[in-house]
Amino acid sequence: MLKFDHVSYAYPGAAHTVNDLSFAIHPGEIVALIGSNGAGKSTVSRLANGLLRPDSGHVYVDGEDTGKLRTSAIAKKVGFLFQNPDRQICQNTVREEVAFGPQVQGMPEEEIRQRTEEMLETFELTADWFPFTRSRGSRQRIALASVLACKPKLVILDEPTTGLDYRECIRIMDYITGLNRETGLTVLMVSHDMELVQEYAGRVMVLTDGRLVGEGPTRQIMKDMSILEQAHVLPAQIPMLALRFGDRFSGVYTVEEMAEAIRREKQMSPGESDGKCAEKRNAAEAIPYLRENKSNPAEVRDVKASNGKGGVQA
Amino acid sequence: MNLLDYVPGNSFLHRLNPVMKLFAAFLYGIACILCGSVLMELFYIVLMVLISSFAGLQKRALRLTRNLLVLGLIMFLLQLLFVRTGDPLLVIGGFCVFTAGGLKSALLLSLRIVATMLPLMLLFAITRMNDLCGALVKRLHVPYRYAFIVTTAFRFVPLFTTEFHDIEDAQKSRGVEYDTGNIFHRIRLIVPLFVPLLISSMKKVDAGAMSAQLRGFNLRTVDSGYHEYPFHKEDAVCLAFLAAVLTAAVVSMVL
Repeated sequence: MLKFDHVSYAYPGAAHTVNDLSFAIHPGEIVALIGSNGAGKSTVSRLANGLLRPDSGHVYVDGEDTGKLRTSAIAKKVGFLFQNPDRQICQNTVREEVAFGPQVQGMPEEEIRQRTEEMLETFELTADWFPFTRSRGSRQRIALASVLACKPKLVILDEPTTGLDYRECIRIMDYITGLNRETGLTVLMVSHDMELVQEYAGRVMVLTDGRLVGEGPTRQIMKDMSILEQAHVLPAQIPMLALRFGDRFSGVYTVEEMAEAIRREKQMSPGESDGKCAEKRNAAEAIPYLRENKSNPAEVRDVKASNGKGGVQA
Repeated sequence: MNLLDYVPGNSFLHRLNPVMKLFAAFLYGIACILCGSVLMELFYIVLMVLISSFAGLQKRALRLTRNLLVLGLIMFLLQLLFVRTGDPLLVIGGFCVFTAGGLKSALLLSLRIVATMLPLMLLFAITRMNDLCGALVKRLHVPYRYAFIVTTAFRFVPLFTTEFHDIEDAQKSRGVEYDTGNIFHRIRLIVPLFVPLLISSMKKVDAGAMSAQLRGFNLRTVDSGYHEYPFHKEDAVCLAFLAAVLTAAVVSMVL
């Protein structure tokens, strides 16, 4: 669906922002692009939809080289949700706003009407709202509805949930994943919210200084500290806690899995626990602290150390 | 770099009193408008580029000159074709294409555009907006609120430029065809560009006003600032130079 073939790009007067980057995203995938600030994430997303043109290399969307296509032509295949919806909203009512994208892309009138109603219903939007005065979450949903109304094959989410509360954040991502399941929509999400990435992305690409330093299934990347450290990012809290607890918790990835693992460790016989596996004991001892919401692993380790019981295995 | 950006430095020009810099830019512009000689106008442009070089700004001055010459060229052609004073200079098939008066008027106008803009560019490049605001309040006793409005307006220009480009990108990303060559088509698509810009500008201004009020904007008077802006002998030299420039312009107009 999206392919970067040895793409390099530098902003005027700067060193390479993206350096000889090659990757492919297949139809129906949800891929997260992660990295610290300045790693080149937004540059990659802008290269993907033609807002920036590579200095060298090629970008292919749906098998077509975008080199000679206008950005507005690429927009028919690639939807782009910006961090700030206010740069996009320009119509007097939500209905007009949602219909605007399909209109400028030349969709037939009947289809526009149908798509607009569909989006208004899906995103629980009131058609006659004046969009500019709605809450930030509503404006982001309006922006997303107008992007998806155009029926893109690939949607790029550039920090889609910045400034949103957890409920709105989940709401937006659930819509996206629902569409991904139902229609095979391909998603590239640019984010440094690891909780979000862990929850929704099937595959992760890690970017540092414009280069890919790792890519793979999210579970695999989340436990590979060598890759994450290169990108100056930390895994989400549960994988992080699992890493701190040691090998016995390897692969623990979600809250449910962690609860199950701790329950399992607690049920183990004292004899086995004393003699053979310090990590199990440490994990079991950590339960009271976790119950008190002291789920920060560093905090757990510090409390335990101060009690003279030895640290949780890192 | 934006043409309105301040360039730090400690040159003779930087050390001038901000009020004198503003006055100088204004008087130099007046001299360029009064000037009636093409050669003199050219001299004023060269002189301003040389003056800019004292502050290390010759490249920026030349860049602005080049950009303004494009606008100047359009004005040149319009004046050349529509001003019909003086003797005919080019006649094709009995039709007078342009006259001597038209040529002189066209040259003067196009050069004037460049000559009057250069000192303004220099003013912004060598003056911090805070200093200009402070000096207007302290030396000219302009109420702070008005001085603030003027300086803030200039400060917002680069912010709005960036915002404008970001909005253009956002609209292009959803298929609005700003990237086609058809100028009429692009004019029709101006709404998606200016509505978000207007809304975001209003929001920025509102947030700015609130922030200023929280910092005691309404309580500011002449005595609130601790910076003093005295005049020095450099300012006297500048004033004498301006008097000479203005006199030369008046003489060229009379002759």
